[in-house]
Amino acid sequence: MDSEQILAEIREANLTYLMLAQNLIRKDRAEALFRLGVTEEAADLLVMLSTAQLLKIASSNMLLCRFRVDDDLVWNLLTSHNVKKVDNATTTQLHASILMAGKFAESMAAH
Amino acid sequence: MAVGKSILNESRDIERAVALIQLGARLQVLEYETSLSYERLLRLYKEVAGKSPSKGQLPFSTDWFLTWQPNIHASLFLNIHEYLSKTSELEEIDTVIKAFRLYNDQMTASAIEPILSVTRAWRLVKFVDNGMLTLTKCTCCRGNFVTEPYENRHFVCGLCQPPARAGKGAASGGLRLH
Repeated sequence: MDSEQILAEIREANLTYLMLAQNLIRKDRAEALFRLGVTEEAADLLVMLSTAQLLKIASSNMLLCRFRVDDDLVWNLLTSHNVKKVDNATTTQLHASILMAGKFAESMAAH
Repeated sequence: MAVGKSILNESRDIERAVALIQLGARLQVLEYETSLSYERLLRLYKEVAGKSPSKGQLPFSTDWFLTWQPNIHASLFLNIHEYLSKTSELEEIDTVIKAFRLYNDQMTASAIEPILSVTRAWRLVKFVDNGMLTLTKCTCCRGNFVTEPYENRHFVCGLCQPPARAGKGAASGGLRLH
């Protein structure tokens, strides 16, 4: 992958992400905050962006969406690595979902 | 302001009632959450669901939420519910509807049988509001799980430490440990 191709792919991913985010927020703001894991302020900003702004912001050498899992335990559960007592993929995924939903509720409460 | 029925409120009530019926709610939930008359709700129910509502009492015990598999489903739903109520200012019943839809989404995505019904989910929120159930942090994974209030400080959830019989039920579509 040469650098031109990298830039094109990042732009594509950014654009897809931003457009999806806008659609989700317009469809149902409350649900979108949960699905996207962004703050209310970020959602308000995102939804206001015009198409021209969207294109401009998407053209960058950095990805705009951040990795949501910042916890080793959640990551291990999602990938079923290092899990001792329960190793059923569906059950561990459910466990990860509970942790993720709870974690974001906490980080929101801190704002 | 004229005292009496507001058409706008009524339209909101109908919208909510339709959403709840589509999610499979029992008639008692609609009666509690809307100001529509029993007769209108009954007609609405038949119109939306295409059948008469099921009869009988609502499940009234907190025990169901504390058994292994239902506890996992209930905990996921309640975590989503908490998330929504902390991030958005919604009417209580709308939070339940949205949280239940998101819970259902997750079940579809993971191909798990959604054993929590919307009536049970609604009931769970009422139990929590009344202090009969609460969310307690697991000391092992730090996740929040539905428990009785005053669970001891060393609480460990059913996923970190599954009980002996967990995941061995004969029912297909149930959660498995391995």
